[in-house]
Amino acid sequence: MEQDAQLVQQCLQGDGSAWEELVRRHSRRIFNICYRFTGNGTEAEDLSQDVFLRVYRTLVSYRSAHGGFATWVTSVTRNLLIDHYRRTKRDRLTDSLDDAMPVVENKASTARRPDELALLGELSGQVQTALTKLSPELREAVILRDLQQLEYGEIQRVLSVPEGTVKSRINRGRIELARILQQMGVRPS
Amino acid sequence: MSWSCEQIEARLSDYLDGLLHPAELAEFTGHVHVCPRCAPLVASVSSLVSGLHGMEAIEEPPRLVYSILDKTLGPRETLAGWRAIFGWVRGIASIRLAYGALSVAATLIIFATASGFNWRHPKLADLQPATIYRNADRSAHLAYAHSAKFVNDLRVVNEIQSRLREENDLRANPESTVPESSPQKQPGRSDGSKPATPRQQNRANDLARQVEVLAMELPAVCGGLGGL
Repeated sequence: MEQDAQLVQQCLQGDGSAWEELVRRHSRRIFNICYRFTGNGTEAEDLSQDVFLRVYRTLVSYRSAHGGFATWVTSVTRNLLIDHYRRTKRDRLTDSLDDAMPVVENKASTARRPDELALLGELSGQVQTALTKLSPELREAVILRDLQQLEYGEIQRVLSVPEGTVKSRINRGRIELARILQQMGVRPS
Repeated sequence: MSWSCEQIEARLSDYLDGLLHPAELAEFTGHVHVCPRCAPLVASVSSLVSGLHGMEAIEEPPRLVYSILDKTLGPRETLAGWRAIFGWVRGIASIRLAYGALSVAATLIIFATASGFNWRHPKLADLQPATIYRNADRSAHLAYAHSAKFVNDLRVVNEIQSRLREENDLRANPESTVPESSPQKQPGRSDGSKPATPRQQNRANDLARQVEVLAMELPAVCGGLGGL
C-alpha cells in the first residue's frame, strides 16, 4: 500500500517506469473485476484499458489519505462498470427479448465459447453465467466481497454506500446466486 | 425456536462471516437444525461462498499491459536501422547475465581443454564424439600418470631429506648412540631404545653411502619435477 503511494508520487514526477509498475501490479485484479461483472473477455479487456486511462488522467486527484490506491482504482472501475452497464442496457433488453423467443439459437447465444470455458474452468464458468444474471448492485457486492475478498469497510468506500447497505447487498447477492445455480442444476462443492 | 426463517435469511452472511454473537449464533444454529426450509439454504450458500473464495484469479491477456501503456504513455519507440538490429542487446545487458555468460564460456573452455581440443590448430574432426572421447581418455590417463610420478618424486625427496638428517645427527653425536649405564634403568638409550648393534651400525654406514648417491642424483630429480 505504501509502495503504491510511493509509485504514484514517482508517476506524478513523470517517472514512466513507476506507472508501468503500477499497471503491472493492478491489471490482473482490475481485469478480473471487469470480467466477472461483464462475463465477456473482450469487454473486460476494453474496460480495463479505460479504467487505467482514467486513473492515469486523474492521478493528480488521488490522495493517499482518502484510502489505498487499490481501493481508489477499484472505485474507478466500479463507476466505469456501472456506466457501461447503463450504456449497454438497451442492447441487453433486446437480447432478453430474443432470449424469450423459443428458438434453437437461444442456446448458442448464451453458451460460452470453448476458449472462454477453458479460461474459466467448468464450475467457474457456471458461476460466471449465474453472476451475470444478478442485478448489477448485488453482482458488484458479491464480486468485491467473495471474489476479490475485500473487507466490508473497503467495499463501503468503493460503493459509497452505508455499511448496512453493503451487508444487505452481499447477503441478498449470495442467496440469489445460490438459487440461480440451484436452478441451473449446479452444486458448488 | 425464537428466530423466524426471514431472520435466518437476513443474518445468513453474518453467520458465514463469523459476525454473530454467541447468543445469536445459538439462536441461528438452533433454528437451522430443525427447519427443513432454512437448512438446505444455509448449506447451499455456505458451499457457494467457499467455492467463490477458492476460485483462482483469471490471467489477464498478455497484451493488456502493453495496450494500457501504449494508451497512457504513448506508443513505444520504434527502432530503425542498426538500433533495430541490436536493440535486443540493451534488453539483456545486465551484470548478472554477463557473469553467467562468462561462467558458461569458462566451463566450455575447461571441458574442451580437458578433452584434448587443440586450440592452436583447431580442426572440425576434433569435435566428433569419438575423437572427444579418445582425447579425454588420453588426457585423463596422462594426468593420472603425471600425478603418480609427482607423488613418487615427492616421496623420494622426502626419503633423501630424512636420511640426510639421520646421517647428520649420527655424525654430530657419535657417542649418543652408546647408552650410559644406570643402576635404575635397563641397558639402552636415554630415549628408551636399544643401542645399535655392530650389524645395525654397518647397515647405517650402507645407508649413508646410499644417501650420498641419492644426494648426487638430487639435482637430476629436482630438474625432473621442475619439468612437470
